[in-house]
Amino acid sequence: MDPVTTEDCFDVSDTEKEDDEEEATAHLRDRFRISTISIAESEAKRNNLEISQSVIVCISDLAFKYAEQLADDLELFAHHANRKIVNMNDVILSAHRNKHLADTLRAFSHDLKAKEPHSEKKRKKTSNKEDKGFPSVHHIDP
Amino acid sequence: METNFDQDVIAAIFKFVWSKKAIDREKIEDGEASKGEERAGTSKKNRPTSANPNAVRLSCELLRLFVTEAVQRAATIAEAEGGTKIEATHLERILPQLLLDF
Repeated sequence: MDPVTTEDCFDVSDTEKEDDEEEATAHLRDRFRISTISIAESEAKRNNLEISQSVIVCISDLAFKYAEQLADDLELFAHHANRKIVNMNDVILSAHRNKHLADTLRAFSHDLKAKEPHSEKKRKKTSNKEDKGFPSVHHIDP
Repeated sequence: METNFDQDVIAAIFKFVWSKKAIDREKIEDGEASKGEERAGTSKKNRPTSANPNAVRLSCELLRLFVTEAVQRAATIAEAEGGTKIEATHLERILPQLLLDF
């Protein structure tokens, strides 16, 4: 996985590495698209509408770009907090501009936490955060 | 339940972006330290970021919301125009606000 193993391979294969990178990106993009297609089609079906393939491809590419941006943001947030590991709060933070979205994510994160209480310590932490988070979770949904 | 993104794919995308950035960081540092001999030390310091599983799950949900929101809004326009198929023009109409909202 690690492309930089020796010094000389480092010098020689700069263009080669770029090709590899592109290939890897294309592969990820395809796998990502498969998921997008099923999500978008089921969503369209719920509205009793068809959806054209070009629209799905476009949405998929947008979402992929968004995912890459999200990765950048999450890394910055985690590093800013002197962490090497991204946690759920970073993800919620990345959606802070859209209050409704942030609330939805917060509720989802509570569900995730409730599903797997690993240890007593963690559970304690969770309940504390839940207490703080709850007032905003029940945001009015018009 | 509803379909969602594959956690492995999202984790792979994140890992890909992060390892790329970690390599870039290492390159910059090597340049500054002029042929850094202690690669072991620097590579430990520049270990790529990672994510905990719940954070990946939450990111999947965020991306799923992005896709469903896009389809939903485009569907509203398509219905208002009396069509039965969501076309590119419908997506075009909702795109600016969608990108502002995410």
